[in-house]
Amino acid sequence: MPNVPVSFDTSWMDPLSERLQQDGPWDKWELWKLALEAEEAMAVHEFDQLQCLKYLPLLSPFPHQLQTAERVLLDMRGRAILADEVGLGKTIEAGLIMKEYMVRGLAKKILILVPASLVIQWTKELQQKFGIPAVAQKKEYMWRQHEVVVASIDTAKRDPHRRHVLDIDYDMLIIDEAHKLKNKRTRNYQFVKEIRKKYCLLLTATPIQNEMDELYNLINLLKPGHLGHTTSFSSNYVEGKRQSKNSDKLREEIEKVMIRNKRSDGGIQFTSRRVQSIPIELSAEEMALYDGVTRFVREQYQSGIGGFNSLALITLQREVCSSKEASFMTLYNMHQRMAEDSPLREQIIHLVEMIKKIETHSKAAKTVELIQQINDKVIIFTEYRATQNYLQKYLHDHGITSVPFRGGFKRSKKDWMTDLFQNRAQVLIATEAGGEGINLQFCNQVINYDLPWNPMRVEQRIGRVHRLGQKRDVHIYNMSTVGTIEENILSLLYEKIDLFEMVIGELDDIVERLNLSQSLEENLIQIIMDSRSNKEMALKLDNMGHAIRAVRQTRTETPLTEAADQ
Amino acid sequence: MQQQQVRQFIERYLATFSAHIVETHPDYLTVKLPVEVDKDIGNRPFYWSWVEKMNLAYQPLVLTFAFNPDRMPDGVRAEHMHLGAARMQQIFDSTKKHGRFLCMYEQSPLALGSGGKRRSAPLVPWLGLNLKLSLLCDKKRDILLYLGINLHNPRIVHDFTSFLFQLPLTPAIPDYFYTLDRRISIEQALEMAKQEVSNVLEKEDQKWAEEARERLTEELAILSVYYEELARREPPAEDDGSKESTEEEEEAPTQEVNAENNVPSVPAISPACTFVEQPRTLDEYRSSGGRILDFLRANGIQTTAREEIDQGEWQKSTPEEERKRRMDELKWQYEPRIEVQLINGGLFYLYSSPAPFPMTPTPSKANTPVSRRIM
Repeated sequence: MPNVPVSFDTSWMDPLSERLQQDGPWDKWELWKLALEAEEAMAVHEFDQLQCLKYLPLLSPFPHQLQTAERVLLDMRGRAILADEVGLGKTIEAGLIMKEYMVRGLAKKILILVPASLVIQWTKELQQKFGIPAVAQKKEYMWRQHEVVVASIDTAKRDPHRRHVLDIDYDMLIIDEAHKLKNKRTRNYQFVKEIRKKYCLLLTATPIQNEMDELYNLINLLKPGHLGHTTSFSSNYVEGKRQSKNSDKLREEIEKVMIRNKRSDGGIQFTSRRVQSIPIELSAEEMALYDGVTRFVREQYQSGIGGFNSLALITLQREVCSSKEASFMTLYNMHQRMAEDSPLREQIIHLVEMIKKIETHSKAAKTVELIQQINDKVIIFTEYRATQNYLQKYLHDHGITSVPFRGGFKRSKKDWMTDLFQNRAQVLIATEAGGEGINLQFCNQVINYDLPWNPMRVEQRIGRVHRLGQKRDVHIYNMSTVGTIEENILSLLYEKIDLFEMVIGELDDIVERLNLSQSLEENLIQIIMDSRSNKEMALKLDNMGHAIRAVRQTRTETPLTEAADQ
Repeated sequence: MQQQQVRQFIERYLATFSAHIVETHPDYLTVKLPVEVDKDIGNRPFYWSWVEKMNLAYQPLVLTFAFNPDRMPDGVRAEHMHLGAARMQQIFDSTKKHGRFLCMYEQSPLALGSGGKRRSAPLVPWLGLNLKLSLLCDKKRDILLYLGINLHNPRIVHDFTSFLFQLPLTPAIPDYFYTLDRRISIEQALEMAKQEVSNVLEKEDQKWAEEARERLTEELAILSVYYEELARREPPAEDDGSKESTEEEEEAPTQEVNAENNVPSVPAISPACTFVEQPRTLDEYRSSGGRILDFLRANGIQTTAREEIDQGEWQKSTPEEERKRRMDELKWQYEPRIEVQLINGGLFYLYSSPAPFPMTPTPSKANTPVSRRIM
């Protein structure tokens, strides 16, 4: 071919000549044929056809994931921002692209930089789903010893690791949660800029969070100058910080380097969520305890006389909404820490006495009823260990099999519990959202035994089962005791902001856009603890609901998001 | 490769090593690995070096390969074998290692007169070369060539291997045959093969290379415009990194800059060479007689002494260094190039003669596997 350099490997000449001279040793005819067949099976006959699927018989990617992989390979030539909305499987897309280049022999040395919390998950996913021998970087020697390394960017940028990373020519660089590189003055950004790479994928669900510059900076990591110099970019495309002009042209340019699949594009069918509140009437004794504790907490919180740590008080308030068992331990500990002669001791003992008097289990009884009615696998979420233990015993007493699940479990125990749940038990009682990489899609019934005050945690809970791969509608039951804070919070999250109906990932976006000085949760705490009356609290929560609603509506109208979304 | 083909491949592979098949079932296969196979696919190099050094009796590995993992009986631990399975790739590598060079003779009954009037017949020496041509830019395509070169009466033919498959071949010279001498050397034959490869490449569609070059030129142009503008608008003096944000940083910058951290620019990439230096594998190292511990010292246990660790500010590249690096990356990515590798080959003494004229295959024909077993 004119001008295309040909390198003809002739290293086999010597061994062949040697065997000719010695007349052997010669290999077997059958193995010779097998070797040829192996090469033929592996050979890539087309430039433009996805090869990796024949190596991945267990993977069935969604059409949008395959299309994305093809576009990156053919149009973008291996340098792209993958900006699918949350839950559409960016990891799968990245895995497909990586595998394709590996199969074609175009990529061997690959570096994957992810947040520290995702290192193990990425490693597992690449190994299990893609048969890629990825290793999680732990020791210094691993940079050189292994071809595919997953590492946290914070480790990689520090000496002595940095030297190795900057010294290696990477066939491929993948960065997850790439929006963290939006600021070009950070060390992370500078570090990534120094890495030598051939192909590069940046993964983010939110390519633009606030300013146009963020996307510009990302693109500049990938293809410096693609949008021109900062100044020309600003004069050509930027109207205000969040406003673009020449949107069509900008969109066209962005499309050359970024792919963003959206849920609304169709093609990907998420099953729907069916949310139901289960009202529970407390018995007189239970209500008395609730009122007693709530009064106690508010008095102490607002006056501060007892010298209680405000966190303990907040916890107590939350716990009493969950179960009496949960509040008991906290009360007990408070009592132990009091001075002997403190008058508060009396009050606390009084509350504990109230707990002892209660013989009904209104919430748990209702839950058992619900589980029997569902007659299928159920996940119960609670925030508290005490509630978890109590529920497990209570369910057992009513002939329902259950397994516990906690954040503190080792990975292997988590897998084991998941397995037990899938094959043996009816109920999984979890105190946390299960952690990354745990597959619970075989279950579609979720009971929120108590509600976290942080809406993101609610979303994480649901997200465990309502994701790609869930084939049935997801049922969410919120246990709500009438006349308590629980009822108020539920009405805020459910009625005012439609939390449970939101598409996956939407909440992230809204919370970020709210630009609160404190987190949503802290705002909630403030309202609940500082209100002098239930009425005041209800009113404040209502206002908050309105604010969130307003943000949610404007959100879709920003031209900037549109430009990026297209 | 379909599952059935995968299974047949594995069975044929194991048969060549006379492996002991413990159990065979439509959905799976349990086999006791022969030594050679164990060494190639057993993933236990340390075990083998230990057994050999201590002169111990070895415990053969017993593996179960599943071809329908969904239909495995409970309690049977099996590996799912498919084209992408790691073990399958090891088997492939093992066949390549053990199926590299051949010497075979044609045993043609036609050549010999019938009855008692036997007379000896000549065999012509041929060099058979199965070659893989890889067309590379940011994408890749392979072309397989099966060349045969007549060493007695120099000429070259295509599709030599499929011709071989039709012949009765034997590893020892049969009675009543004699071989003709090789009138050209292997080196001369290689030159003919090289010439033929370039003839084939000449006829290939060049579009891929032109497109890659166009793309490269385009991208290089964007880069140089960008860096020119950068230099104009942000004179280097200003860009000394002093304004770097300390966000996300926990350690205070120290004074010294480690010389090692100066990023060396990518060596100018000549298209003919490989770009990633391959670390030597343990196997290669061991086969060349090295001690495991030395290997680990040299390649494995690598740690930087504490006092050499420097968390200080590293030297950021200058815009010029950066520009050069990005340009080198682009060339690395796009520059079209072709690599030719030998799959395997051998010496064949033939009575029959392949089609007299060199047939240059059309590209589509070159894509059909000669064995016709694997699609």
